[in-house]
Amino acid sequence: MLEAMRYFFLRALRNMRQWPFLCSAAILTMAVSLATIATFFLIVVNIEQLAARWTGEIQVIAYLNTPPAQQDLVRLTQDLEQIEGVENVAYVSPAAAMDRFRERLGEDASLLQGIRPDLLPASFEIGLRPEFRQQEGIEIIVAQLEEVIPVDDLRYGQTWLERFNTFINMLRFVGAFLGGFLLFATLFIVANTIRLTLYARRDELEIMALVGATMRFIKIPFMLEGAIQGFVGGMLSLLFLGVSFTLIISRGLNAFWLTPVDFDLLFLTATQQLLLVLAGVVLGVLGSLSSLRRFVRI
Amino acid sequence: MDMIQLYNVSKRYSRDSIAVKDLSVKIDKGEFVYVTGASGAGKTTFLRMLYVAERPTRGQILVDGQNVTRIRSHQIPYLRRKIGVVFQDFKLLQSRTVYENVAFALEAQGKKRFEVSKKVYQALKEVGLEHRLQRKPLELSGGEQQRIAIARALVVDPLILLADEPSGNLDQEVTMDIMNLFKRANARGTTVLLATHDYSLHQRFPRRVLTLDQGKLVGDQRPLEMETAEQ
Repeated sequence: MLEAMRYFFLRALRNMRQWPFLCSAAILTMAVSLATIATFFLIVVNIEQLAARWTGEIQVIAYLNTPPAQQDLVRLTQDLEQIEGVENVAYVSPAAAMDRFRERLGEDASLLQGIRPDLLPASFEIGLRPEFRQQEGIEIIVAQLEEVIPVDDLRYGQTWLERFNTFINMLRFVGAFLGGFLLFATLFIVANTIRLTLYARRDELEIMALVGATMRFIKIPFMLEGAIQGFVGGMLSLLFLGVSFTLIISRGLNAFWLTPVDFDLLFLTATQQLLLVLAGVVLGVLGSLSSLRRFVRI
Repeated sequence: MDMIQLYNVSKRYSRDSIAVKDLSVKIDKGEFVYVTGASGAGKTTFLRMLYVAERPTRGQILVDGQNVTRIRSHQIPYLRRKIGVVFQDFKLLQSRTVYENVAFALEAQGKKRFEVSKKVYQALKEVGLEHRLQRKPLELSGGEQQRIAIARALVVDPLILLADEPSGNLDQEVTMDIMNLFKRANARGTTVLLATHDYSLHQRFPRRVLTLDQGKLVGDQRPLEMETAEQ
């Protein structure tokens, strides 16, 4: 068994040495294909992450008819904090609202002179837990909110949220569609490259079958070869991704992508990196197998 | 004992192209048989059906007592290990050395390394090429290449040796060398089937001759009959 495995492995290596051009072509095709897919994956993941940050600013503002009495304030705040999905609650009194307004007006603050400080309504600014920062979550909270306090008006960026939802759904759809398409194209290209390498060696396959080699004997070295090529291709694509990523970060190019300053671009996690290399190995083996079926007829 | 038996075997490639028609023949163990006929007479198809590179459209074929007509794919390699095949175009791996080409047949059967090297050396010695172990086929003459192909076919000690126009590309002197190799293999007990359209061969080495014409067996002459015919 060990002797056989050694023989198969040596034959796979020898084959690769004997056909360096074909071997590099297969490796490079796999590296480029895998890098393309992984880059695409990273783009989608980063856009999603960026989008998720925007939702971090989502909060519900409940405007009140009348400001609550000072002694009720603590109880009301506590009640609001009890609602599932609420992360924090901040009370903004009419005076505080006016101060903010004044601050925002800046040089034009003089416009507010002579206006009653209690003109603006009191409000609760309710921060949400991440999993509630979407349409359905907010609707659940709003429904409970109205039972706790008499609300005059609610603001939570309804229109924006709808648009955002459409955008995320669109992103996921396009991501899945293009990703699937890329994957299919990759499989096709890799299988054809391997087929080409086998075509060049059809004499060898024919003679092997002629001298009584079993299918297993014929296939294993080619599958091993596919696996080795896939492994090297996967590692190369990882190297390429890593280098490009480091370059983007080190050159401060992430500012170029219009991302916030404190936003860290995501790279593949260790598991995803392992999966990428594994995908290369699987791609190589499957590519070899599918093409072998065409060339080896016993 | 019969080594090869064919019963009413026909092979059609398409509706109007019949390669072998209603062929029935028996070949004994240890026989040396020529298969002759013009190009397109069905010689190659006949041989290809024996090592199951083709399957007959009709009829039954038995090789060493095994019915190969309905043999399953996974059993074919084991049948082929009993059969050595030699071609007109040698079918050697040009990128491999002489040694590797011959060893290939043994490695394919999963033989151990020490056994492989011993047998390869013996087989190459038998064909007189033991001093060319590390050469590549293209560095050798046509006759030498054919001798490597014969060594590859014989290294596994086959029960049957099939040769399809083995001397087609070779001159007379080399052809004689190669015929001697076949005769020696035959003397050791290997059944030899040699397809050729070179009639001079069986005049020089008289043996049983099967003659095909347009896929049909039109003659089956044994040496005695041939001698009688000559008289």
